[in-house]
Amino acid sequence: MVEFVSGISVVCFAASYAVAFACEASRLVFRSGVRGATMVAFAAAGLVAHTLFLGWRATHEAAVPLSSAFDWYLLAAWVLAGGSLWRTIANPRTPVGLFMLPIVLGLIGAAELSSRVPFPQSPATQIWGAVHGSFNLASCVAVAIAAIAGLMWLIQAGRLARKQSPLGGLRLPSLERLEHTTGRVPAFAAGLAAAGFLSGIVLNAVNRQRGLLETVPWNDPVVLRMAAVVAWLLAAAVATRATSRRADGPRTAAWLALASLAVLTGSILWGLFGATRHGVPPVAPAPRHEAAPHEAAP
Amino acid sequence: MMLAFVGGTHRTVPLALRERLAFSAEQATEALARFRERFPGREGVLLSTCNRVEFYAAGEQAADPPPTDELVSFLADCRGIDAQLLRPVLTGDRDEAVVRHLFGVAAGLDSMVLGEPQIVAQVKQAWSLAQESRTAGPLTGEMFQAALRTAKRVATETAIGRERLSIPSVAVADFASGVFERFDDKRVLLIGAGKMAAETLRYLRQAGARDVVVVNRTAGRAGELADRLGGRAGRMEDLTAELAAADLVVSTTGATEPVVSAAAYARVEPLRAGRPLVVLDLAVPRDFDPAIGQRPGVWLYSVDDLGAACEANRRSRHRELPAALAIVDEETRRFMGDMHHRSTAPVIERLRAGWTETGDAELERLFRRLPQLDDASRAEIRQAFDRYAAKLLHSPLASLRSASRAGPPHGLLDALKRLFDLKD
Repeated sequence: MVEFVSGISVVCFAASYAVAFACEASRLVFRSGVRGATMVAFAAAGLVAHTLFLGWRATHEAAVPLSSAFDWYLLAAWVLAGGSLWRTIANPRTPVGLFMLPIVLGLIGAAELSSRVPFPQSPATQIWGAVHGSFNLASCVAVAIAAIAGLMWLIQAGRLARKQSPLGGLRLPSLERLEHTTGRVPAFAAGLAAAGFLSGIVLNAVNRQRGLLETVPWNDPVVLRMAAVVAWLLAAAVATRATSRRADGPRTAAWLALASLAVLTGSILWGLFGATRHGVPPVAPAPRHEAAPHEAAP
Repeated sequence: MMLAFVGGTHRTVPLALRERLAFSAEQATEALARFRERFPGREGVLLSTCNRVEFYAAGEQAADPPPTDELVSFLADCRGIDAQLLRPVLTGDRDEAVVRHLFGVAAGLDSMVLGEPQIVAQVKQAWSLAQESRTAGPLTGEMFQAALRTAKRVATETAIGRERLSIPSVAVADFASGVFERFDDKRVLLIGAGKMAAETLRYLRQAGARDVVVVNRTAGRAGELADRLGGRAGRMEDLTAELAAADLVVSTTGATEPVVSAAAYARVEPLRAGRPLVVLDLAVPRDFDPAIGQRPGVWLYSVDDLGAACEANRRSRHRELPAALAIVDEETRRFMGDMHHRSTAPVIERLRAGWTETGDAELERLFRRLPQLDDASRAEIRQAFDRYAAKLLHSPLASLRSASRAGPPHGLLDALKRLFDLKD
């Protein structure tokens, strides 16, 4: 069993999710009596492998979830994959996986491009680190959920405006239900992102105050881009709220939710390919240059 | 094994004659009792719906099902109709064609509205009635079970019965339900008393709508309608306020000019606080200015829009027909293969019995010659004999099963009978 669990790789669950997504996408092309069960089986297998992988890292590789960028992305993907599977089982006729699984796969891809080296931590800052990571993760998940609801709203509204019956394989939730998500979740996402950003500032300040090495410069790109993301999410939440009582409010909310996901994606890509001191292990001070005993010999 | 069927549908029997031929539940029970008396040992199931009257009969070996002509006479006698009137309009079939027909009927492929789901329940009822009347048997039992299985496969593996075809059902299920998640907290406003208003309201009520307001040019008529439809009567003069409060409007007046112009709606819009409005304008000429449909948050559907969606759904159902027929074909072949194989059972039984008898006799002789054998050794030898016989029988039985898929394996059965001297 141990050998089996230790043999699980990112490719295992990513492939399962990819097959589940292919099954979901095939709804648009043809009808099948076994597709639903196949899709759920692959998504469930992927989620089990994903869980075991994270569990293995936590117990055997001392990589507690959120302790590295790699684990952070995988945990965000795990939350969304679990949500996707739950929604699929609860509403088999709604192709939730068609919208959620690409984001799950994107997050797994981001994990693969990220460092597996744990973030530097000291006992004093461990709690602030966990708070910072948790809020950011919750905000990321909330932005993804709002964007999915927004995209579904636009597709559903487009169908209703074109006066077409629903496509057999693409039965989406009602506009009312989707508006419920696009209208409320952005405010949560903004609040969580702000809390994540503030906790990051506190974490960095504590590190600086204690003279610890794992500090991030205030003008580091990661600080700037997170500030930009928080500012955007707050503005989007305010705009969503302000237009909620207008007839075109739901459409505005849907576009803003999609734009928020685009901003977040841009921020993630910047983080993946840009230079930063965030999460980089501290550089140990250069050792004083003392002659080794054998060098001291004349 | 023999299966027979005689029947007529909306396509073959004129309505006046179909009305006379139709069976109520009591009449069907009586007819099945008569069938049992008139054709003892045969199985019979009567399927009578608005659009079809069909009788399925089955029998095995000595009790073949009655010929088509006799079944027509039987139906005519049951309903007191001259059989000569029925002969030109009722059709009959035998064996595989009967199975294929029933499977298609159960799947809704032979219905007036392609893929309609009610027929499955009617087929089930017909089968239950035959069971209660003791005219059902193993052959019709398997055939009807297989028919219901086929109907289920067609319903799940194709979209033939999924799309809605009537304007009120499409309006509510495909459009209004696309905008609103629930209707129990929505205000429904009926303007006018057109024919489709009541039907649309029936679907809305099924979806949960409770708060219904009816307005009409004539206050008395509005009150009458509100009482009949279970709503509250409103006044036409208050239409602006009613429109501002409504979430869904069903309009079916006979007015020659739009009841709600774009300018009138412009006065309503600010009062709605951005809430979405679904308008099902089922009137001809239209009651709502089409320009209102361009306003944000307004989902306006005219009778032509809904008719076009119905037509698209109808085409969509027809596109699914080949896939549904393929399932019917596959299930028919499987059923017939099983039935043909079943017909080989008596020959296999006799063959097996003959071999067992010979084997037992040989074993007895062997055991008498070898009295020193203990019980364990005897059991071993007996098992070896059984295994040997089973292995020898395997190939002919596999050939029979394989040949059964293509049709009754008469040639192989005759060969087995002659080779092994199997007496009927």
